Amino acid sequence: MPCTRRYALAGLVLTVLSAPAAAQTHSKSASGLLSLTVPASVRLTLSVTSIAFPDANPDHVPSIPATAAVGITARARSAPGASVVLSVIAGDDLRSGTDTIPASALSWTAAGDGFRGGTMSQTSAQTVAIWTSSGLWTGTQSYLLANSWDYPAGSYSATLTYTLSAP
Amino acid sequence: MTRYVLLGIATAGLAIGQPLHAADTTANLTVNASIAAKASLTIGSAAINFPDRSPDDFPTVPAAENPVSVTAKAHATTGQNVTLTVLAGGDLTSGRNTIGIGNVTWTATGTGFSAGTMSAAAAQAVGAWSGSGSRSGTMSFSLTNNWNYAVGNYTATAVFTLSAQ
Repeated sequence: MPCTRRYALAGLVLTVLSAPAAAQTHSKSASGLLSLTVPASVRLTLSVTSIAFPDANPDHVPSIPATAAVGITARARSAPGASVVLSVIAGDDLRSGTDTIPASALSWTAAGDGFRGGTMSQTSAQTVAIWTSSGLWTGTQSYLLANSWDYPAGSYSATLTYTLSAP
Repeated sequence: MTRYVLLGIATAGLAIGQPLHAADTTANLTVNASIAAKASLTIGSAAINFPDRSPDDFPTVPAAENPVSVTAKAHATTGQNVTLTVLAGGDLTSGRNTIGIGNVTWTATGTGFSAGTMSAAAAQAVGAWSGSGSRSGTMSFSLTNNWNYAVGNYTATAVFTLSAQ
């Protein structure tokens, strides 16, 4: 929808510019109020829908790297100077039946302009990246799972929700 | 003239239009992690030695390496029994002479660790726990001394087994 509006505006301007002959012939000026709302808009793309941490001996691999990095593409049209924020929050701890691994055992490093490392939380959204104004940004997140002998054996899963916001 | 006016209006429309609205979008990522059953056992000394002592002065001879550290680590399902046992391969032997392996005993420290007597016939419990975890303790070995032992250098091998059942 925002793209459609942008094209409509361009069409209007071009139409006016393409009628110089008529304007010169009648030598009249005209004025009017054109109102156009360009709302903030955002688009977020993750390169994968899931990541996995393979089993590993905590003595040998104290931090387990995920099998794949998460590529992130964020697009935003925002007011000049306004902050565009990408955050992530875990829906719950990692769960395997009634067994859990705390969401805080997940951490990440990041690469790309505006991206930052962090530690997962299921209680408050954690900042993944901050930018200013409109733009298109790309980066990667590389997740780590803190390994421990205390984890019960099992197959664990959790859902992370990323939110891209522009004021 | 006309086109300049209209162009100016169109440009202004972008800047002074109605207040911009916030925009949010979300995307989900599923995280999977696998924790498989496994165990790791570390004994602080690969060998223990009982020095020669007079049975009158030392009715029991402590091992020179006491206390021996023991660390038992396991990934197990919740509630699953994790046990550490020791089984001797035979009596202490020196040529054709033997000292019954039952003369070797140990005391233990650490949560879940227990004292016991060595056996070559049945594995003896050293520790018992429930579920995953890393457990550390010590074992202090003693040899019951006796004037009846034949002179010699005796050896035996004991195997420690950590398992989740």
